[in-house]
Amino acid sequence: MILATAILVGLAAVMAIVAYRQDPARPAAGALAGLRLLWTMLPMLIAAFFVAGMLAVALPPQLVHRWLASTSGLLDVVIGSAAGALIPGGPYVSFPIIAAIHQAGASLAATVALITGWAVWNVGLLSFELAIVGPRFTLIRVAATLVLPPAAGLLVHAIFG
Amino acid sequence: MQRGMTIGLFAAGVVLAVVAYLEGGWARVLAGLSGTGHLLIAVAVLIVAAFVLAGLIQVMISKEAVTRWLGEGSGWRGLLIGGLAGALVPGGPYVYYPIAVAFLKSGASIGTIITFVVAKNLWTLSRLPIEVALLGLHLTWVRYVVTLLFPLVAGALAEVLFRGASRWVRDGLPGESDEAHGGGPA
Repeated sequence: MILATAILVGLAAVMAIVAYRQDPARPAAGALAGLRLLWTMLPMLIAAFFVAGMLAVALPPQLVHRWLASTSGLLDVVIGSAAGALIPGGPYVSFPIIAAIHQAGASLAATVALITGWAVWNVGLLSFELAIVGPRFTLIRVAATLVLPPAAGLLVHAIFG
Repeated sequence: MQRGMTIGLFAAGVVLAVVAYLEGGWARVLAGLSGTGHLLIAVAVLIVAAFVLAGLIQVMISKEAVTRWLGEGSGWRGLLIGGLAGALVPGGPYVYYPIAVAFLKSGASIGTIITFVVAKNLWTLSRLPIEVALLGLHLTWVRYVVTLLFPLVAGALAEVLFRGASRWVRDGLPGESDEAHGGGPA
């Protein structure tokens, strides 16, 4: 988190310097445009954080765990994808859960579908996407990525046996 | 639309809170609320930095340049640039979604931004060390191999299926509807 913040602040500083060379009024205009955008989105952002926080406590990891540890075959890829979408939190929270599910007996294909489902279909991310980019973009993004998590699992079956 | 979205999200949060209450009582709900609060405080600086960066991108990079490199006619080159940017951008959704909005407003096509978002989801470099550490080298290797082309595939698919939709998406951006004048191209 600190590293990401440092990188972003550094990037913003570099951009501001370049902008200043283009036109001395430009960095302030850009920063102001960004902050105005943040201000209009603040209620939605807080709502999105509220959803993310509640998702984390409403979906106990054991539940996801129980669904996946015992299945096998092609069905596991589909269940894995859907379960991945429901695993809350960032990588520090989700990867330990995913590792536990894998160790508990989920197949390689199911686990890869699980990771891909978590990365692409993530329900927690959805609230941020809806809030910041809007439902139209979200609709198209979901349509374009609908087959990816199961496809990842099937590719594992095909390539790695 | 913006107000409806906020209300809808809060409603979803309340439904989840009820589910949490049924599972673990008030303690569970409070844990969720304190998690929300802690996360918000932890990422506050990151969010402000991300939005300032998005604003700077918007005023600095000319519409012509974005349209040329990431716009409708940019093809595979545009998708590759979008994917690379997605792999490199640090931070969570409150960072890369504002950046996606800035690029969309500046004339990027829907496909390149889809590739940008999916590449952030699947290729993100900053997550690689933790993924190897927690899931192991083998699982991480297999996962990267099978999903390597996915961001480009998703972007190309969006470009083919929703080619005419960039304008529609741009008009539906949350910041846009609330301002008296969007300042967009006539």
